[in-house]
Amino acid sequence: MIPIRDDNPQVATPIATYTLIGLNVLAWVLLQGFGNESALNASVCNYGLIPGDLFSDGNGQRVCRASGEWSGLVSSMFMHGSWMHIIGNMWFLWVFGDNIEDSMGTARFFIFYILSGLAAAAAQILSDPSSMIPMVGASGAIGGVMGAYIILYPKVKVHMLIFIMIVRIPAIAMLGYWVGVQVLGGISSIGATGGGTAFWAHVGGFAAGALLVLIFKDEEMLVNHPYYGWNQKADPLDIWQDPKNRQ
Amino acid sequence: MTDLLESTQVRAMYMSDTASVIEIISDHDDDDGEAAEAEFQDEGVEGHFVLVDGDDVLGISGYREIENCDATYYLSWTYLDEDYQGKGLGKKLLADVLDRLRKQDARKIFVKVSDYEEDGKNVYAAALSMYKSFGFEVEVVGQDFYDDGESQTILGLELTPQSEDLSVADEKPVIRFNGLFEIAETDGAYTFAWIVEKSAGFFGKRSFTPEDLELGISSVKEQGGRKIFLTFPSNLVLIHRPLQAVGFKYVGQLKDYYEEGLHELHFSHDLEGIG
Ligand SMILES: CC(C)(COP(=O)(O)OP(=O)(O)OC[C@H]1O[C@@H](n2cnc3c(N)ncnc32)[C@H](O)[C@@H]1OP(=O)(O)O)[C@@H](O)C(=O)NCCC(=O)NCCS
Repeated sequence: MIPIRDDNPQVATPIATYTLIGLNVLAWVLLQGFGNESALNASVCNYGLIPGDLFSDGNGQRVCRASGEWSGLVSSMFMHGSWMHIIGNMWFLWVFGDNIEDSMGTARFFIFYILSGLAAAAAQILSDPSSMIPMVGASGAIGGVMGAYIILYPKVKVHMLIFIMIVRIPAIAMLGYWVGVQVLGGISSIGATGGGTAFWAHVGGFAAGALLVLIFKDEEMLVNHPYYGWNQKADPLDIWQDPKNRQ
Repeated sequence: MTDLLESTQVRAMYMSDTASVIEIISDHDDDDGEAAEAEFQDEGVEGHFVLVDGDDVLGISGYREIENCDATYYLSWTYLDEDYQGKGLGKKLLADVLDRLRKQDARKIFVKVSDYEEDGKNVYAAALSMYKSFGFEVEVVGQDFYDDGESQTILGLELTPQSEDLSVADEKPVIRFNGLFEIAETDGAYTFAWIVEKSAGFFGKRSFTPEDLELGISSVKEQGGRKIFLTFPSNLVLIHRPLQAVGFKYVGQLKDYYEEGLHELHFSHDLEGIG
């Protein structure tokens, strides 16, 4: 079951969304060798986020790199664990990112995305501060995009491919789907020392996105958006209905 | 009199007809005569037609295409020699002009009529009923447009059928006011010139704000203006709240003015608090 597209119109060219997808792909190609095993393991070690490294002073216990552990907070957002992982994440960003960018503008969306990713990382770290499993993936930040999407456009129809059928469901119903996917796990963190889901990262990213969008959205950009909020789109001329506003 | 209806012909106006045409218009209204003369000098006589009986020019009509619109026109000076009015000649001339427009795939034509009265009689009553008999419909009435107590009625006629429910995508461009001027032929009615800024910038504001409007309103007041009239395309969704916030009222819309489904909205602000 995957979202194919949505009924949400794209207003401006989503420059930040395209750039983010480009950066992820570039990292996959240049730093992760298209998922080639040794390159993949090295990149996860070097650019992944290892909570246990952040708060220990090393002492030879470090599995991966000796320094630069904090940079993993950001670099891990652009690393992936498998072809499926990157394709899945980029697909979601492609389908839903443009509409979030349309609600706040390119620069704001870029910051929103990074902050969602950081919140996801923070949630994962809090859930197990001593974990030595490297976390990678854009899933946390994209969780933020999903959270924002459901807050902004709860009623817009998303076209879901279910086996060979396409079903149009309201975005709010995707919340259930998203949670389900997280619980089933498995689409995210695959570490050098083992695999596992970054469940808390996804929940943290999703919650952060749902909250951050309230600050980041630009009401002017959403005026008369056909799918903004719970109400049907109003005719902009409606505010002139009152006879006192007419000549 | 039926001979005149048959013997007269409609032909394209030449620059050399200007003198006789101006004479016909000036007989009705000196100001209009002057304005028409200036316009023929500046913009030429293309799209204008005269009704002639042999060498005698008996009437003038025509059209001018509206800039930045899709096949939309304004009906131009339409006057008949006073001695030849009420004989069906005006109808013959206008029918001919509208036919020419239809043949060149014109979409819509508008005409502006004042409700000016002389001796308690509406000077343009004949014109108004003639337009209506051709199917023109009243679309916008701007109260006190030309002067206090003299309104402007704009009528529109679909030359090719326009769809009822076509709508054009919303736009939220950056609009900046870059001037104000008194509207031609009016006494104290002003409008703002505005432009669409190319780039919106990352954080830039889009629409104009109530403060921008207040600035314009106070300079019109300083110049002794009575009223402000503003027009905007119907797909600019961000203009409404600022306009309402500073006291503009909605006057109406010219349907399908820019293109099918894209109307021209009219707003006015009364600076004297009358009306
Ligand atoms: C308006 C004008 C061009 C009409 O030309 P005309 O030859 O006099 O009019 P016609 O005889 O062809 O009649 C056309 C229609 O005008 C109307 N009309 C003509 N004379 C009228 C009058 N005295 N009172 C009311 N309506 C009159 C009628 O609706 C008539 O249609 P109908 O005969 O089917 O009822 C002409 O009267 C004129 O030049 N008027 C003064 C200038 C003017 O008002 N110009 C328009 C500026 S916006």
